[in-house]
Amino acid sequence: MEKILTKKALPQWLIKLNAYQIYAPVKKENHWSYEALDKPESIRLDHLNTIQSPKMIIFPQREVFFEFHNAEGNTLVMKEPASESSATVIFGVRPCDAAGVTHQDKVFDGHFKDLYYWKRRNQTILVGLACNTPPSPHCFCLSVGGSPHSTAGFDILMTELEDSYYVESFSKKGDTLISLAGDIFSTPKENDKKDKEKAHSDSEKKLKRHIKDLETVPPKLKDMFDSPLWEEESLSCIQCGICTYLCPTCHCFDINDEKDSSSPLSGKRVRTWDNCQFPDFTMHSSGHNPRPDRASRLRQRIMHKFNYFVTNYKAYQCTGCGRCIDKCPVGIDIIEVLEKVRDYGK
Amino acid sequence: MVALEDLKQEAKNVLEGGTVKYIIGYKKPAVGFMAVPAFFHKPEDLDALVWDPTCVHNLVLFLKDEKKKKLGQKEPDERPVGIVVKGCDSRAVNVLLQENYIDRENVYILGVSCGKTGMVDLKKVRKYFKGKIISQIDFNENESFTVTTTEGKVEVPAADIFAVRCTECITASPVIHDVLLGGDSVRTPENPFGSLEEMESKSQGQKWDFWQEQLTKCIRCYACRSICPMCYCDECVVDTINFAVYPDTPAEEKAQKIKWVEKSPTTSENFIYHMVRAIHLAGRCVDCAECERACPMDIPLRFLNKKLEKESKKLFDYDVGYDTEIPSLISSFRDEDPEDFIR
Amino acid sequence: MTEEFEPKIVAFLCKWCSSAGSDLAGVSRMEYPSNVIPIQVLCSGSVSPLYILSAFNKGADGVLVSGCHPGDCHYIKGNYYSRRRIALLKELLNFIGLEPERFKMSWVSAAEGTKYTEVIKEFVDELKPLGAQTKLRRNG
Ligand code: SF4
Ligand code: SF4
Ligand code: SF4
Ligand code: FES
Repeated sequence: MEKILTKKALPQWLIKLNAYQIYAPVKKENHWSYEALDKPESIRLDHLNTIQSPKMIIFPQREVFFEFHNAEGNTLVMKEPASESSATVIFGVRPCDAAGVTHQDKVFDGHFKDLYYWKRRNQTILVGLACNTPPSPHCFCLSVGGSPHSTAGFDILMTELEDSYYVESFSKKGDTLISLAGDIFSTPKENDKKDKEKAHSDSEKKLKRHIKDLETVPPKLKDMFDSPLWEEESLSCIQCGICTYLCPTCHCFDINDEKDSSSPLSGKRVRTWDNCQFPDFTMHSSGHNPRPDRASRLRQRIMHKFNYFVTNYKAYQCTGCGRCIDKCPVGIDIIEVLEKVRDYGK
Repeated sequence: MVALEDLKQEAKNVLEGGTVKYIIGYKKPAVGFMAVPAFFHKPEDLDALVWDPTCVHNLVLFLKDEKKKKLGQKEPDERPVGIVVKGCDSRAVNVLLQENYIDRENVYILGVSCGKTGMVDLKKVRKYFKGKIISQIDFNENESFTVTTTEGKVEVPAADIFAVRCTECITASPVIHDVLLGGDSVRTPENPFGSLEEMESKSQGQKWDFWQEQLTKCIRCYACRSICPMCYCDECVVDTINFAVYPDTPAEEKAQKIKWVEKSPTTSENFIYHMVRAIHLAGRCVDCAECERACPMDIPLRFLNKKLEKESKKLFDYDVGYDTEIPSLISSFRDEDPEDFIR
Repeated sequence: MTEEFEPKIVAFLCKWCSSAGSDLAGVSRMEYPSNVIPIQVLCSGSVSPLYILSAFNKGADGVLVSGCHPGDCHYIKGNYYSRRRIALLKELLNFIGLEPERFKMSWVSAAEGTKYTEVIKEFVDELKPLGAQTKLRRNG
């Protein structure tokens, strides 16, 4: 379905969607972040890259699986928390972040379906916004199989035109969202379509960063496990969790029991994100750590994204959002590292 | 003002002559204008060395890695490491010396003075130059910076884009060094703790609302901890596993490890983490404000440390990072320490 | 009818003085509120700020640290170190908006059973109007 929505009418559309929980980018002092939108008229879609991608909504950093307590007669009672998730629409999602969702879908699907993930994911509708100008100076989606107007993962993609949005729906859920406010949309004219296509092709030219010949990297990585490159490139890495926690594709997690009381026993089983850049991520209880240093952890990050994931899922586990580059406190730049890999030994 | 050529020459001299094993300094990034930490092993690499108002990092942090690496080597190279150090950073060196974490012979300090200004704050720069592409920021002799954008060069008053901590800095040149470039820069800021006043004047409720909002944002990436030159403990209460675990540590001991803080980034757990961090840095934090700069979530962490710096001064007349011979704040006391709060 | 709020106090009591002081109050059958969960420590100097934060995290409405009078510490200097550390923690907790009344320190010797009961009575009286401590308490 393809429609035109005037910019002025956007809040009206949101008002009609009041049965849904709506998230949208909100401007803060120095940054943008996705937040539950309570006033439809406050919506703004001129956002730069949000610090966190919508991963934080679909795969939240903390999630309670169940609560437990020891009841009379020493029986353990377990209870799932009341379901908090309702149908959710995330507005203004950038194509790289939607691609991130499709990568997570691959991981949480397959042999072991992650019920907790899919409960949320199935109720989530992604309404995207094509990037007419790159929202980050480090965007490089074109190099990793995406584009500033990619439709992957979207139910709806909007493209900003002069005073309207070109709205394309790719799913039933998307069609429903449009039909809920059918009268405020109009049918696109031939020149709207042309404008949209022009915006799309122009946007590709505005990207500042690229990696040439990235396809040569995965096969090369297979022989680089013991390369000294990892040590050289990781010298300044402080092993914080920024690059991985903020990445829209990183999905590692940990499960812990959080005890509220020991006697009588009560607490919660909780899933939280975990992070391959933390020294304790691979720490064994024996005290042995198979990834003992920065070099091995940077290697893991690159190997997972550009070697193992490619083998397993036929895609890079990177969507070119540029967050890890922009936010790394010591300026480690994944594009530079990949270029070094590509040119290694040449 | 430091002449970059002089700095390069000094660095080359000690690297070429073999006085130091390598030099920790700054270089330009592949893209953008904010300098990044760099490790120079060969004299010819030093052509890439830079010194400008974007050299925000406190490189003293990397002495932790150096120490840990050395501990793991059978026959370590005992020569010192060369390191480029600003005024605030130099006090971090002093704290590490005071705590006997490093020895004076371990470091060769290339001190650089910030002169009349200091370091820029990237957030302020971005706001000031909305969307413009910046290629370079330079020091000037006066209290301003020269910013080069695609549209040319402009002179910007330092006050508009430099870090708050630099406006409250007293010693903008290194207090310990082997060579000093750019001369002394001792300042007398009108109010060295001025940035705290607004917060202090709030009611308890307002303060709580502020911190609750701020610390709830924390994603516990621990960048604030990892970037801090003072956070060198092998074992941290927030980690899920105890690093003081050895192959012969008995299972009971491992099982009994107390979980002081949960991994969940909830308000209560984030508060424990940040309160512990702040307390642990009392009398040690040199206000390089790296934690705040590194934080991806825009949390004003510097306030917490600055508050304790202020109280250490007020209550115990303690200055951080000037004297390596005195005992540290927490491992000392005076008979006249205040006790009016004690019943 | 609403029941009166009874604050829960976690008290870190030095084994050599305050803990003995509280025992004395007990055996002398002095009356004082039963709001205290006492935790005996070897010296007030051994109380890490983490213990205090953890007590608040686990639901304490107020926390008391009590040690020997200056000059009387069994380990000579423990209470002086503690005094410094606690002063800093107090300022910090005040700065983030916790009510300053919720966190107290006292000197109570083994002979001061009466003083111990007074400290507790006063503390309870100050805590009652504040209600439950929810700021630092574990949530979610
Ligand atoms: S690896 Fe970096 S650029 Fe790629 S998707 Fe993750 S955060 Fe974005
Ligand atoms: S690469 Fe940068 S963001 Fe990632 S762990 Fe290292 S220092 Fe942190
Ligand atoms: S750097 Fe920021 S987000 Fe990361 S742990 Fe520290 S305060 Fe939290
Ligand atoms: S022994 Fe009582 S305070 Fe030290």
